[in-house]
Amino acid sequence: MAPLSDDQATEESDTDTLALPGDGLREGIVDDLRERIGDALIDAHISPNDDLWVRVTTDGWKDTGTALKAAGFDHFCFLSAIDWMPSPYGTGEDDPDAEPKEPDTEIVQGVTGGETRLQVFARLTDLDRHVGITIKADVPDDEPLVDTWTESFAGANWHERECHEMFGIGFVGHPDLRNMYLPTDFEGHPLRKDFPLLARMVKPWPGIVDVEPMPEFDEEEKNDDQKEDESTEGESS
Amino acid sequence: MGLVDRGRMPAPLTKLFNMSRSYSLWVYQWGLACCAIEMGAAFGSPRYDVMRLGVIPLPASPRQADFVCISGTVTDKMAPAIKRLWEQMPEPKYSISMGSCANCGGPYWDSYSVTKGVDQIIPIDVYVPGCPPRPEALLEGVVLLQQRIKNEDMAAKWRGDEYRNNRREYEVDDGGYRTHGVSGDPIPSNVPPREPIVVGGGPIE
Amino acid sequence: MTMLSDRQQLSYIASQAADARLNVELETEGMTLNIGPQHPATHGTLRIICRLDGEQVVWAEPSAGYMHRGYEKLTEVRTFPQVTTLINRIDWLGSFANEVPFILAAEKLMEIEAPPRAQVIRTILFELSRIANVSLFLGDLGVQMGAITPVFLAFRDREYVLNLIEGATGGRFHPNFDRIGGLKDDLPKGWIDETRQVMIKLQQFCDTIEDLLFGNEIFQSRMRGIGIIPADIAKSYGLSGANLRASGIDYDLRRDQELPMAWDKADWRVWTHPDGDSFARCWVRLQETRESCKIVEQLLDQIPAGPIMTKVPRIIKVPEGEAWVATENPLGEMGYYVVSKGDLGPFRVKIRSASFNNISVVPWALKGVYVPDVITILASLYFILGDIDR
Ligand code: SF4
Repeated sequence: MAPLSDDQATEESDTDTLALPGDGLREGIVDDLRERIGDALIDAHISPNDDLWVRVTTDGWKDTGTALKAAGFDHFCFLSAIDWMPSPYGTGEDDPDAEPKEPDTEIVQGVTGGETRLQVFARLTDLDRHVGITIKADVPDDEPLVDTWTESFAGANWHERECHEMFGIGFVGHPDLRNMYLPTDFEGHPLRKDFPLLARMVKPWPGIVDVEPMPEFDEEEKNDDQKEDESTEGESS
Repeated sequence: MGLVDRGRMPAPLTKLFNMSRSYSLWVYQWGLACCAIEMGAAFGSPRYDVMRLGVIPLPASPRQADFVCISGTVTDKMAPAIKRLWEQMPEPKYSISMGSCANCGGPYWDSYSVTKGVDQIIPIDVYVPGCPPRPEALLEGVVLLQQRIKNEDMAAKWRGDEYRNNRREYEVDDGGYRTHGVSGDPIPSNVPPREPIVVGGGPIE
Repeated sequence: MTMLSDRQQLSYIASQAADARLNVELETEGMTLNIGPQHPATHGTLRIICRLDGEQVVWAEPSAGYMHRGYEKLTEVRTFPQVTTLINRIDWLGSFANEVPFILAAEKLMEIEAPPRAQVIRTILFELSRIANVSLFLGDLGVQMGAITPVFLAFRDREYVLNLIEGATGGRFHPNFDRIGGLKDDLPKGWIDETRQVMIKLQQFCDTIEDLLFGNEIFQSRMRGIGIIPADIAKSYGLSGANLRASGIDYDLRRDQELPMAWDKADWRVWTHPDGDSFARCWVRLQETRESCKIVEQLLDQIPAGPIMTKVPRIIKVPEGEAWVATENPLGEMGYYVVSKGDLGPFRVKIRSASFNNISVVPWALKGVYVPDVITILASLYFILGDIDR
């Protein structure tokens, strides 16, 4: 039986750190991906010296995963979704007495755009070239279904379960879309923007109201105090 | 002890029993979240050394425990398990709720999956506030619990005159007639509701 | 794939056999073993359901969610400064480290950077929380195998680190010290000297643990060649941190990406181990604690003078955009994908926590192992419940 490697035998590692990736590399990655998946690639966005986003069609979602894995992006980071609809309930930080604002209903997708309310997005890393990529795809509004990534990335299994539970997005071909976090009889998809936080509706966040002045101060002191309050607030916020 | 179940007990004997009970408390550690680590530091580490208070942090199952220390966030999914374990504990049993989460939901007061206060599920004797409370605060909670045990009238408890101490356990219906929140039995009007103890709410004598 | 050792092959064959037995008729009567949700080996409330055939696990499934607190939803109704309070509590043992990637993401969107002094102090506190975190892991490791002493040692020496964190930030556990644009406060007087002494103590602690545990024969025989995770499996499950490096992959976000932090100012190395077994994972963590001590010691000499806060507006509004920042947290890669719409609070925050991915490999890793190994494999994967369930 071959001996297991010795403790001390770790590879000499940090002597030749690879150069950090530049934008040229990212452009090359996009070109390479376009070659692999063709028209499925809708849009790409490179934030200079920082990060890379691509958006693919819903049908090309699965192939993108396979293609990127073949292109060296074999470390699975995460998979999740975004609900781009502005929350009809606001942030819960508004003054309860003030006139309620007209809720914003315009759906604006972020980087690389999009057409639907829900988008799935995932991130993969290339551990050799030290570069990551964020992939987005639209999820059809009428039938929130996309293909699963579990065939290329085993780790996607749990992420898709979580996503299914939180957003109600179905993953075609996923082996087991059980609830993961919530009790089985939980209703609704918590991370959708139209899911209300009941506790906040019952009792608005108490921090909205200014703290009442201490009763034993006389007028003058109170004014001073308030000024001080304001200035310290400025520092701390 | 036949005396106890007959509902009569001489005062000196009560005192002796209570004293012995309060200094040999076996605690079941129910660590749920961040507070569990501070509970571990209080119960399991050489610096805080809970055994000097007569608390034995070892029972492997709730069936051997005298009190349970619930520390951390209680979620709706966890709540049934907590109730089940509480029911497995033999009487007389006590409970400490450690941390803002267990007391009232804490930073997750508006979350969709967190139970806002473990006292909705089981009665709590001592509340230890903080996020997380320092181990010293938990030890003070233990001391306060011991004081409560020392002043207890076991016989009255046996007769059912004195109900468990949680306010939420009492429910007042329309006629001003109280029922026991858990068992639903009517409560005699001369039994005062017991105040919950809050660490930091008053001095230790 | 790389060359497999004989032990690796044996364990692979065992897992294949377990698979086959599950598919074909079970020969012996199966039994279901439920571990948790309240079990000392699960660091909280993880529940693991194993189906056994004799002494061998043929199927295992962790059932999470007992600690799901809904962070991602709650961040949507908090302002940016409020979010730090919340996310502190995800990985509760290394809480300062949780704040850093989020703050960095917000700073990236605002296009500001903390002053150099704040960067160095951030890095020091980051590494201190790593030490506080991993030292408890090292102590706990013994408990999983029936040795009580290491955990006492860990709690004792961890107190020193917690005292340091408390001295600088005011909180033992959840400091909430990082601010967008810098830090809340400067270091107190005398803190640097004390830190130096504590680092010496912590290095001694590492030596003690190495003597007590890693050289121990029982420890070795229960850890070596057990729970092997090959590199390609590790990558496709997205393992990170020490779990990834123990499978021989040389990747550390502290070194391999550019961040406005001070790791590049110190001289340290990334440890890897080619085996990928339980022992390798623990061993890599032990070495990392030592490296952290070294990083802190070196950075203490290099704290530049200057302010600790850049100019930020009184009310923080983060401009519209999306940013992803991940750092090498004690448990592995922890990242925040922050989407802002120019409001007071974030529009969506995806929290990528290390333990979630690390524990998703459990069904694969437990297949074909014996019941006593379940506990050691779980312990060596090292997870924190808040980090899985969020
Ligand atoms: S009270 Fe604070 S420290 Fe304790 S479990 Fe809750 S969040 Fe964690």
